[in-house]
Amino acid sequence: MTPRTKDTLSLTFSALADPTRRQILARLANGELTVTQLAEPFKMTMPAVSKHLKVLERAGLIMRGREAQWRPAKLQAAPLREAADWVEQYRQNWEESFDRLDAYLKTIQNEEEDSND
Amino acid sequence: MDQLEERQIEVSRTFESPLELLWKAWTEPEHFMKWYGPKGFTAPTCEIDLREGGRHLWSMLSPDGRQMYYTGSYKEVVLMERLVFSDGMSDAEGNLIGMGEGMPESWDVTVTFVHADGKTTVTVSHVGYGASAEHARMGWEQAIDKLTAVLAKV
Repeated sequence: MTPRTKDTLSLTFSALADPTRRQILARLANGELTVTQLAEPFKMTMPAVSKHLKVLERAGLIMRGREAQWRPAKLQAAPLREAADWVEQYRQNWEESFDRLDAYLKTIQNEEEDSND
Repeated sequence: MDQLEERQIEVSRTFESPLELLWKAWTEPEHFMKWYGPKGFTAPTCEIDLREGGRHLWSMLSPDGRQMYYTGSYKEVVLMERLVFSDGMSDAEGNLIGMGEGMPESWDVTVTFVHADGKTTVTVSHVGYGASAEHARMGWEQAIDKLTAVLAKV
């Protein structure tokens, strides 16, 4: 991993650490929404929602429209995919270690059986 | 997505081997070095001081010849049940060198051992950074269908 990737990843992960922001992202998966629309299901003020959107925007997880009044938020897939790939790689490393462990255990168990014969 | 709050990176495997053997594989260097690391890697060095507060220092050698050291200390050692240790990248002497900008110096790894019907299930989980990483994965899986549509438009 390049330092840049790690940087992006840590921004992604810290943005995702908050449950409200994850809910915002989940809702944006259905399409663009304005701050007003996003604020509706949460017991939150619009400035509070805007604050969350800023964090998400900084992490590159969303893009905001240019229209001053509405500025609809739109989900950006790439950083989320990068983070998911990172986790998958990590999981894969353990799976492969376990494959090797399984093979090793079989070897020593066979040796034990042979020496018991 | 609230129910995902406690999720973390977790990998589980059931081995057709006795519990004692699995415990040894995780706690005795001569065994640990035989399997630790992904496919194509080897673990050329390993020191384990198996007691709470004791240190581990092991390394992995990648197929292209890069040797990476990892160190940390044992926080919980419950015989044939549970291991908790911190783990982070270090130099050959065991000084933490960090895992990259914005990442923690080390994170906690929990290993549990459960024996039933002659088989042993080992579960490895990561907390802390791993938890938000898992959120990323879950978030991704939930959104992936719709995201494919979004990407198609870009």
